[in-house]
Amino acid sequence: MSMAQAVAAHGYGRATSIRQGLAPWVFLLPTLIFFIGYQIYPIVRVIWISFTNYEFLSNEPADWVGFANYIEAINDPLMWQSLWRAALFTIMFLPGTIIFPLLLAVLIDRVTQPRIATVYRVILLIPAVIPSTLVFVLWKWMYNYQVGPINHFLVDVLGLFTVYDAPQWLGGTSLTLPAIAIMEVWWGLGYHTIFFLAGLAAIPKDLPEAARIDGANEWQMFWHVILPRLAPIMMILVVLRFGTAMAVIDEYLIFGGFNRETPTYTWTIFMYDQAFKLGLWRQGFAAAIGMVGAVAMVFVMIFLLRIFRSRD
Amino acid sequence: MSVQAIDQPTFRPGEIAETGDPRGWFERNRGAVVRHAVINFFMIVILAPLAWVLIMSIKSRPDSMRGDFWPRKFDFTHYGYVFEKIDTLPVNLFNSIYVTMATVFLTATCAVLAGYALVHMKARGMGIIIAVLLVSLYLPIRVVSIISIYEIQSFLNLINSTSGLILPYVTLNLAISVLIMRSMFQLVPHQMIEAARMDGAGHWRILWSIGLPLVRNGLVVIFIVNFVTAWGEYLLCSTLTNDQDVRTMPVVLAAAQGGLGQWTWPALAAVYVLVVAPGIIAFAFAQKLFFKGLAEGVVKG
Repeated sequence: MSMAQAVAAHGYGRATSIRQGLAPWVFLLPTLIFFIGYQIYPIVRVIWISFTNYEFLSNEPADWVGFANYIEAINDPLMWQSLWRAALFTIMFLPGTIIFPLLLAVLIDRVTQPRIATVYRVILLIPAVIPSTLVFVLWKWMYNYQVGPINHFLVDVLGLFTVYDAPQWLGGTSLTLPAIAIMEVWWGLGYHTIFFLAGLAAIPKDLPEAARIDGANEWQMFWHVILPRLAPIMMILVVLRFGTAMAVIDEYLIFGGFNRETPTYTWTIFMYDQAFKLGLWRQGFAAAIGMVGAVAMVFVMIFLLRIFRSRD
Repeated sequence: MSVQAIDQPTFRPGEIAETGDPRGWFERNRGAVVRHAVINFFMIVILAPLAWVLIMSIKSRPDSMRGDFWPRKFDFTHYGYVFEKIDTLPVNLFNSIYVTMATVFLTATCAVLAGYALVHMKARGMGIIIAVLLVSLYLPIRVVSIISIYEIQSFLNLINSTSGLILPYVTLNLAISVLIMRSMFQLVPHQMIEAARMDGAGHWRILWSIGLPLVRNGLVVIFIVNFVTAWGEYLLCSTLTNDQDVRTMPVVLAAAQGGLGQWTWPALAAVYVLVVAPGIIAFAFAQKLFFKGLAEGVVKG
């Protein structure tokens, strides 16, 4: 007999039991208000907008135009080119952000002195507590051709380039996407290492011992004992980071610009440009671009999840 | 484990071997040396950009253009200079603090209440709520919904308003915060809550006096995660506001052109250090609790 029933049995229970039923919703209310107001409603609204000729600036009510925006988006070569650019960035970024942390985690996991291990962990998480914009700003300066230490290192210290042919990292050159990818790998390095360290900590210690007694060398052990056990964490990371990499926007706004020819003009920037920058403010079309991009990437994510699932 | 297993000296490559090995110290410990060298290389890579900006903020102006890491002449006046010469600086800093504190407070409140309800209260539809929160983590909602969020904000008359930013900011990490709190409250035994209910305590009291102290570490994780997001948010702030004096500090920094006017490079770097330091210092103090929370709630799945 639950509390509610017990109270109800005593007669004055109806009001109490209604209050009992409402209580969870009172606790959930703040979350629901924010989540519905600023996540669910906006998405539903954007889907609706994508089927209309909606414009903020126009006083006329929006008309339903069916799939016209989608047809226009799909027939625009820029849509596919901009999606490809996002994919290109993802290809540059994803391997580095998995492999380096994995390597680092395996090494740090072997550090036996607790003090030193703690110091490493704290340093690892420092980039993770630097807010996104501050990471981008810092690296924008690092890549600066005038004062940036990266070109200083390449030109003055290593002598690989002269001042005249030093690499131009910023401003939408072919180096801008790799530059952003390097920055993102740096940013995630510590956080992902911590992730893998948690996975390594969960491996029972007698497993590697047993493998060693069986005569496995370090490499075999990593490949056959450790890696399979880290696979679930790795899959989550791959899918999550694929999602963030495909939908990058802030970095392109800060490092790139709105030149359609540049590699940083991806589908997110295409959408943003149409919605807020070009004088036209065609939100209907912009919404369709956003939906095409989002659906395309979610499709790949589901595909990845299915591959990973089937391997279990 | 049997006694025999303890006695048997299992050889672990890389660990400092103490037995009478005829080889030299380096030979014996080559594994450990190489390992620490590689780790330390990565540590330097992580810290170098921060060291560079810190040094930049105390370089003299001519040195700032020279590119050498270590300046010939130090100049500590840039920190004072930026407050004197950049008139929106105190306002921008205040905006950042205000928006971030409000966001962290609201998100944490939502997450604690919802996390408790999702674990220790029963109602229909909770499974759906959890599923929706989980799925939302994988979708690019932040990017795609910017169009309609602009619309909502202009409907509420919150365009170009600092306070208006708080509403969308709360949602940025709401799902993950609620899910973290949910897994924290799962560590609190049902029987404990039931016993308190039998003693006549209401849910509010149980949450306040039993629940909160137990989920403390998870709360630290939520504070830090939301602090980091709100403190450095760019997309919403730069889209929903126009004037420099309603924006947050990082967004102003991102727009500043280095080397021009008031924004000499050391001045920029000084502002940068001022903005980035609070987070790192707060984390340094909270790191123990943070790691505990991380271990308990976040990486559990």
